[in-house]
Amino acid sequence: MTDLTFLALATVTVASAVLALEARDLVYGAAALGISFLGIAGLFFLLDASYTGVFQIAVYIGAVVVLILFTVMLVGPQLGEPPLELKRLSLLIALLVSLLLGTAGSLTSAAAFPGPDNCGAGCDLTRLSTTLINQYSVPLEFLSLVLAAAVIGALTLAEADRKG
Amino acid sequence: MEPLTSFFAVSVILLGIGIYGLTTKRNALRILFSIELIYNAANLNIIAFARLRDPPIVTGQVLVLFTIALAAMEASVGLAIIMLVSRLNVDIDLRKLNRLKG
Repeated sequence: MTDLTFLALATVTVASAVLALEARDLVYGAAALGISFLGIAGLFFLLDASYTGVFQIAVYIGAVVVLILFTVMLVGPQLGEPPLELKRLSLLIALLVSLLLGTAGSLTSAAAFPGPDNCGAGCDLTRLSTTLINQYSVPLEFLSLVLAAAVIGALTLAEADRKG
Repeated sequence: MEPLTSFFAVSVILLGIGIYGLTTKRNALRILFSIELIYNAANLNIIAFARLRDPPIVTGQVLVLFTIALAAMEASVGLAIIMLVSRLNVDIDLRKLNRLKG
């Protein structure tokens, strides 16, 4: 059963990632990107990282995709970009890198990464939160500071033109 | 439970798509899409590798929480820059955008 779910999620993720880059209309591209993020969140759920999956949905679908959609609509649609001269070469390079990583991955057998069947205590939400608070409380505070700085910076950037 | 290698495979494919977008696209928004895809590939990889240990470690999930927040931050600043650029000159073609060049 998990097999089918995994296959469906992986297909949706990869296909909509391709669509996000190749769709003519940027709005469709942003929507496809959101679907791809949803697929990634589903894969997180399959890996028993449910809290991270919920966080992924909240941050990516709730914030990033909405922000991208607003920017797309403010910047205006730019239909059909002209192809780059290096397109074939870079496609070749991307394929080559994927092939290299793929062969390296296929050389290692699946038995090398057994992966415990049921996560048990390792994926307990309580343990995650205690780790987050006990061990990583200082980075967490710094992260909130960085986020606040980013928001202020983004606001200043977007505002800069109006003042000057 | 699906073997972890399949998750690594999805991650590699996403990374490949992201690299392809980074190298071929000219539109700044598409390049931002590619960066986000690469971020997601890395997140999936971290979560899958965190399952590798027996018992699984939670540090991977904590790391991914931080990564997601940082990615959102990067996206917000990037989108602000794109909006600013689109207000300055109409085209957001990154290959032609060399206004900062001396």
